[in-house]
Amino acid sequence: MKAWIDTHVPDFLHRKWVWIVGLLIVWFALGRIFKGVHTLDIGNSEDTPTTEVLGQFAANIRAARAENPIFVYIFNPFRQGIESFVEVIRAVISDPAPGALIPVIGWFGILAIIGFLVFATSNWRTSLLSMVLIFGCGVLGMWTYSMDTLALTLGAVVLSLAIALPIGIWAGLNDRVMRAVRPVLDLAQILPTLVYLAPLALVFLIGIAASTIATMIYSIPIGIRITAHAIRSLQNGPIEAAESMGSTRWQKLTKVQLPMAKRTIILGVNQTTLAALSFVVIAALIGAPGLGEPVLQALSIRNIGDGVTAGLAVVFLAIMLDRSTTAAVARSNQIPLTGKPLLIRRLSLGAAAIATIVAVMMSRQQLWAAIFPETLNFREPIGDWFDAITEWFTTTFYFLTTSFNEVFTLNILNPIEYLLADAPWYLTIIMISVIAAIIGGRAVAVLSAVLLLLIVWIGLWNDTMITLTQVLIATTIVMVIGVVLGVAAGRNEKFERVLKPFLDAGQTLPAFVYLVPVLALFGPTRFAAIVCGVFYAAPVVVRVVADGVRGVPKEMVEAAISSGSSTTQVVTKVQLPASKKSLLLGANQGLIFVLAVVVIGGLVGAGGLGYLVLQGASKPELQGKGLAAGLAIVLLGIVMDRIAHASARRS
Amino acid sequence: MRRNLTKRMAVLPLLAAAGLVLAGCGDSVNDAATETATEEAAVATEEEAATEEAAEVAACGDWAIAMHGWVGYTASAQVVAEVAQDALGCTIEQTQLEEAGVSYDAMEAGSIDVIVEDWGGGRWQEWVDRGAIQEVGTNGNVGLIGMYVPQWMADEYPDITDGTKLNDYADLFQTPETGDKGAWYEGPPGYTTIGEKIIDAYGLNYQVVSTGSEAALIELFTQAADNKTAALGYFYEPQNFLAQVDLARVNFPANDWTDPAEASGLTDYPESPLMKLATTELVESGSPFATLVANFNWTNDDQNMVAADIEGGMTPQEAAQKWIAANKDTVNSWLAGTGASIS
Repeated sequence: MKAWIDTHVPDFLHRKWVWIVGLLIVWFALGRIFKGVHTLDIGNSEDTPTTEVLGQFAANIRAARAENPIFVYIFNPFRQGIESFVEVIRAVISDPAPGALIPVIGWFGILAIIGFLVFATSNWRTSLLSMVLIFGCGVLGMWTYSMDTLALTLGAVVLSLAIALPIGIWAGLNDRVMRAVRPVLDLAQILPTLVYLAPLALVFLIGIAASTIATMIYSIPIGIRITAHAIRSLQNGPIEAAESMGSTRWQKLTKVQLPMAKRTIILGVNQTTLAALSFVVIAALIGAPGLGEPVLQALSIRNIGDGVTAGLAVVFLAIMLDRSTTAAVARSNQIPLTGKPLLIRRLSLGAAAIATIVAVMMSRQQLWAAIFPETLNFREPIGDWFDAITEWFTTTFYFLTTSFNEVFTLNILNPIEYLLADAPWYLTIIMISVIAAIIGGRAVAVLSAVLLLLIVWIGLWNDTMITLTQVLIATTIVMVIGVVLGVAAGRNEKFERVLKPFLDAGQTLPAFVYLVPVLALFGPTRFAAIVCGVFYAAPVVVRVVADGVRGVPKEMVEAAISSGSSTTQVVTKVQLPASKKSLLLGANQGLIFVLAVVVIGGLVGAGGLGYLVLQGASKPELQGKGLAAGLAIVLLGIVMDRIAHASARRS
Repeated sequence: MRRNLTKRMAVLPLLAAAGLVLAGCGDSVNDAATETATEEAAVATEEEAATEEAAEVAACGDWAIAMHGWVGYTASAQVVAEVAQDALGCTIEQTQLEEAGVSYDAMEAGSIDVIVEDWGGGRWQEWVDRGAIQEVGTNGNVGLIGMYVPQWMADEYPDITDGTKLNDYADLFQTPETGDKGAWYEGPPGYTTIGEKIIDAYGLNYQVVSTGSEAALIELFTQAADNKTAALGYFYEPQNFLAQVDLARVNFPANDWTDPAEASGLTDYPESPLMKLATTELVESGSPFATLVANFNWTNDDQNMVAADIEGGMTPQEAAQKWIAANKDTVNSWLAGTGASIS
């Protein structure tokens, strides 16, 4: 048979893409014929048997709350423990005791302590930058909000690391543990926060404890993943040497593996911190103090300027935390100082320590150092300035953006949505599975079919396909932007330095800040949702790709140049293929980040699963449907991730 | 390792010193603040003792008001909070929070005591049945949901405000989003709606677009009015936006339902008085704050006035104080029975 195929089937049919294009044509043709048949479209407020069961389940938990021993003896003490831990930090930096004017330390003291800590762990330049950024939060008129956010973030990070580091190390040492935790990590990272926010508030009440726990659910997986990765990717040489010298397992871990993995583990701390910080606004939805408050307030009165001002304070905090942890990594890799430089360093540390103590004392006694001076508060002018810019931008580009939106919707968005959502559900499942089989193999095809059938069974098929359309398009755009900018940044350090603040801003600026401008430019449309997703996910991909391109050995690039390759050839033939691993990681992260903002899309007209999650959060009678929609997002994420993974392994 | 140790040693004395500083120096701006606060309290007590009336005001206590994310709500809640603090001496916490489920749960758990405006005709019943929440009357605002078009469309096509004739105009509302059907923009996910039922009941050639937020609706209508584009969307009063941009309501036959689940889709939305909710704990506490919450009542115009000031750039506190100063009689009528009043 095989021989027959080899001789009789024309050569081009051996290529995968030919089959895929053929299938798409068939799919499209069948989709046209059966348009609107068996699409399983249901109304927004219509329940299905599965969602009803889920809703009943939530209602039962609620009714049992008061007497249930699990609440009385486990959840409540746990909640109180977390709350008092965070409250201690808040009492020191943000929340004055009743009747008091300032917390234990005034603003000037906090500035000095941050400067000193960063100086002690990295260098004076980063220390100065950190102080400028923290001072900037005050200039934006957001001092107390910023300190609340800092306190919550620190609390959540410390608690997250206390859990993530041990589990991460264990998972790094033991394959079986890794296999056991991986699905849980997937679930926790893809499940949209808004899905578990209401249930969390149900169990842990509103406020600090619930928001800290919500933050931990999101940031712990990242910590575990990177720690395990750090242990796993160590070279074997030193470990074997330690073994041959008869070290115990404990000695091997503490003397060899952990010190060697330290650099990557600190990267994990860095990522855990940024993840925790990105939670600021979500936390405010369940009554947590911090920068989320002014952001939500600004949204409810459509004061764009004030929202951006608050969002900018989030970005400042993020850059400060990111740069200081990164600089600490860099320092831990340097050769230790000796002789005169060491003496200078010790002396300057001592001087900085004394200056810090003086500053802390002053911040408790002098009013100007205790409360951030009103004369330095530029919240209103900055807000007005942003208002004016946004107004100018949206009115100037409105016609450009709406017409682009129209062309894009008619020629790309709608055709793909017809294919996925308007065709009979069984046709779509068959086609997706066959494509998965061609590019990823039989196993992943079966998995996709089963998970997609599960979505049909839940009853949210049509909404899932509407969301899938947008996620596919957004991820594709993100990858294109990510590769173009990532390659440019990886090849040119100057360009990367210019790009970096924008990447920081894109990744940490809360989406609630730019909802109104996006709406003004694109109206409540699916394209507006895609724009939000791209804005949020592209920076990560740019970073990962840039990192990969930079990691390509210089000799390879130089060899290509000396053999007369053009720049394009160097990029396409050497740098991109050599950084394939980073491209894959980028695609995976891009997808996860796009999925993470599906719910935000629901706020700007995306419909689909994001809207259902929001609806479940604010309509008690449809809570079950919201939970089911969250589940469908996770299933969708797994299907896409596994197909991409399998196809990468094959090629 | 050694370098690490030296680093740690550098931090330790600092921490110790910082601890000493904080513990040792009792002289801080906070002490001054406490002194002033005590003096003020003393003055206040004297004043209270001086007026017989004030002496009858019972202690108010600490209470929390839920702050929901729309400007009309902010207006109502801020006015209640200001009156409670100034006239009754209550300690009021205002907690930003999602509406409905999350808020009701918070009330059941005792973290929130009052919701000053709830549109969700009875969605809180489950919590009332368990004895956690009580309805404490309407707040005087009357909510009216409906479908709206920009005024220029009503001028150009007089018929368009007759909902039953919407099919004649479906092609005006076509968008790339909805293909050959008209776009029917719905509101935020938490809001009561029977849009899908109306489309079904009349066989309207329209497709629902879920805008997802109040901000989205307002952008939609602002642009429809500014650029003279077509838009058919969900809106509601009281909402200060209706005073800024001219919208015309699309009418359906007179309403005959109260529970949206029972609506046929053939008739329009009802006028619904907006409800105040309080925890059983507050209602039974005997605190004058409970009386204030029960008495609080104002008109849609009142709310819109405060909302307009907030949107115009005042802080919610300033806007609320401005309204209170201009409407002392109304405020005093809310204070009836507490023994307190403002002048």
